[in-house]
Amino acid sequence: MRFTIKTLLLAGSILVPASLATFVAAAQEATFVMPSSDVGAPSYDPIRGTKLNAATTLIYDRMVIQDADQSFHGQLATEWSSTEDGMSWTFKLRPGVTFHDGESFNAATIAWWIPKFAGTENAFMTEAIESVEIVDDLTVQFTMKNPDPNLLSNMASSFMGIPSPKAYDAAGDGYGINMAVGSGPFTLESFTIGQETVLAANENYAWASGLSVNQGPPMIKQLTIREIAEDSTAFLELSTGGVDMLLSVPTDFLPRLEAAAAVSVAQLPGTGIFYMPINTTVAPFTDIKVREAAALAINQKEILDNIFGGFGAEAHNFLIGSLLEANVDAALNISHDPDRANALLDEAGWAMGADGVRAKDGVPLEVALWTQNGTEFKRVTEVVQADLKAVGIGAEITVFDSATINDQYRKGTEHQLAIRSYSWANSDIIDWFFSGQRLGYPNVSMWNDPKAELLNEAAMKGSRTWEERVANFTAYHEYVLSQFVFAPIYEPVQIYAYSDRITVPDTIRGTRLQSQSIVDIAVK
Amino acid sequence: MTGFFLKRLLLLVPVFLAVSMVIFAIVHLVPGDPIDNLLSVNSSPEQKAQLVARYGLDKPLWEQYAIWLGKALRGDLGDAIILKRPVSDLIAMNLPHSLALGGLALIFSTIVGITAGALAAINKNSWIDRTTMTVILLGSTVPSFWLGLLMIMLFAVQLGWFPVSGARSWDALVLPVLTIGLGGVALVARVTRVAMLETDRRDFVMMLHAKGVPPRQIELRHVLRHALLPVITILSLRIGWILGGAVTVEFVFARPGLGSLLITALNQRDYPVVQGSLLMLAVAVMLGTLLGDILQAVMDPRIRERIK
Repeated sequence: MRFTIKTLLLAGSILVPASLATFVAAAQEATFVMPSSDVGAPSYDPIRGTKLNAATTLIYDRMVIQDADQSFHGQLATEWSSTEDGMSWTFKLRPGVTFHDGESFNAATIAWWIPKFAGTENAFMTEAIESVEIVDDLTVQFTMKNPDPNLLSNMASSFMGIPSPKAYDAAGDGYGINMAVGSGPFTLESFTIGQETVLAANENYAWASGLSVNQGPPMIKQLTIREIAEDSTAFLELSTGGVDMLLSVPTDFLPRLEAAAAVSVAQLPGTGIFYMPINTTVAPFTDIKVREAAALAINQKEILDNIFGGFGAEAHNFLIGSLLEANVDAALNISHDPDRANALLDEAGWAMGADGVRAKDGVPLEVALWTQNGTEFKRVTEVVQADLKAVGIGAEITVFDSATINDQYRKGTEHQLAIRSYSWANSDIIDWFFSGQRLGYPNVSMWNDPKAELLNEAAMKGSRTWEERVANFTAYHEYVLSQFVFAPIYEPVQIYAYSDRITVPDTIRGTRLQSQSIVDIAVK
Repeated sequence: MTGFFLKRLLLLVPVFLAVSMVIFAIVHLVPGDPIDNLLSVNSSPEQKAQLVARYGLDKPLWEQYAIWLGKALRGDLGDAIILKRPVSDLIAMNLPHSLALGGLALIFSTIVGITAGALAAINKNSWIDRTTMTVILLGSTVPSFWLGLLMIMLFAVQLGWFPVSGARSWDALVLPVLTIGLGGVALVARVTRVAMLETDRRDFVMMLHAKGVPPRQIELRHVLRHALLPVITILSLRIGWILGGAVTVEFVFARPGLGSLLITALNQRDYPVVQGSLLMLAVAVMLGTLLGDILQAVMDPRIRERIK
């Protein structure tokens, strides 16, 4: 019977060969699925590209990389130092490194590479560098236009993967699309945009960073990284053995993953926060007491436990826990406190009504609560709505698609509260979302405060050293918290799921699952 | 016949212009901005202004439309803002996948639809008629997105017969083809059934019966042949719709194609790609309609006479 139905299905589809050979991955070959947010990344050009996918760090090495605790480790640089005034940086480069095309990596590579960013959409990465001087074959010195203690963080970005100068210049505009040549653990075999990238092990690779156990070529000899936009489809591929690893799994899939046989889950600290910006220019949130009440109404623990099954952490400020600038004065952290929220609203003159919604001068305390499509967003928003109602704030939810909502924010006056998230492992995200230069979007809180702008200036441009930068951003962060221009909600974790065909290191090193740990993954 | 063809072709010109205008207006009036997707944390407002100017998005909408249409008429659909390559290249990369999927789905829905419709008509009001039409109706009312997931759950996850997704092998086409094709089966079957029942009442059929021609021969050789005229019209109209219908199915099955391209571009508000893809789909519908008209004229001389 099984044969009959199968035969009928095949016959009905015409031209489809009767052969039903399933894809069986050969030994030392593996197939991963990249995060759905990476789908459609157009190229592997780290200099000119504006969106790169998860395979980029496998093709290119960077000067430095970061561990999960945000500490910096050398990859193509072995050591580095900066002068006290922050106006000069010196990098010692790793000897014996060659690109996939056989070209040598040395100081001349860096002198060619840094100026290439000028005029591109990624120019901000290197804009503080005035010039690059070759000290010797394996030493370079950056002369700075202004101190940039964030330089190492920029250097650790995926956009700072270093391509082979010869290949890059020869390929012109086609670079990254038709070919990509780095010095990373894998070479690019083929790239079909929106579909898959096929990589082969770089058998000459002998310069893995100290974060990798395996200091030689990757153990996976051929790695296919597929692009699947629909998370359910990716999950089913893993369940049926069609792929070996998902490089990102939504938290709401965890119960199903835990129930699935032959599938394991690995975690890394998250790189972002769910939060609720509060429009400070629209009543009733022009009153800081009402803002504080709305922020204190949110029950972070309830959201963590009930929506995210305890995976991740409660967020009590704007930055991920691994950043030093997240260590603010504990009194400024924002936590669930409905009693204080009620007291603040009473103080502000909003009296509780019989219907459970407060009112003042006959005007009910009803506000607009915006969110974007996506299961997690909708569920978080519904809990926040209930939390607000518990202190007498009525909130009406409106759902927008993610591409539309930013335009709506730009109107400035139509939104009051919103549920948003970001993914960015650097404290300068505070500038992005709260600078008075970016009102509407990304500054959804529409916050333009003179003191905040001074603190912003100090944090963004007034720091000479990393320590100064941490202190300045901590001060800026604390002031933002004190003004209740947003409410922190949840800090997600990164979840990876993999089949029992592969072995994954017990500890994943890095801020994401990138080359430093992928070289340690083996096929059984 | 040439005159008829030219007349129909000329009629497509104003339709094309109107469609291009609607596509352009919708794409640009929907909130959202491709430049947002080019910016990164640390990008300055000045950088945004430069990008807006670079891609001509600071020009009045009518001027942007005129530029786009002028280029499109010369075969240049522009360059993708986010995907960073010529739109025509992107379409050329994806169209064959959509054509294969849509073409097979069309063939599937034609064969199964005509067979089911004829079976129902020949066995009018019997349990065969009722069962066939009910099953087909059920299949066609399930949204393709949902039907696709059901197909995956049954045939890929539970039975393990076909791959869940992708386009790595020919058997990966089976489930998407069935998902799209089932929607067309119901339409073709209903049209075939109704047309055959109407033809059954025609004088020439009664005469064939009077002459003693076997009923099965009458149904298959004469009635079905005459009933195919409206079926062909419906099928030609479906050429474009099937390409459009593949949008969600390509997404669910993670297949390359115009649908996947369109969804990626829509999410990023990559205007030139969205416009180019929609224009391609619109042209496919228009050409399908033209093809249907021509086929009808070829098969039915009365239509040619009316146009003369």
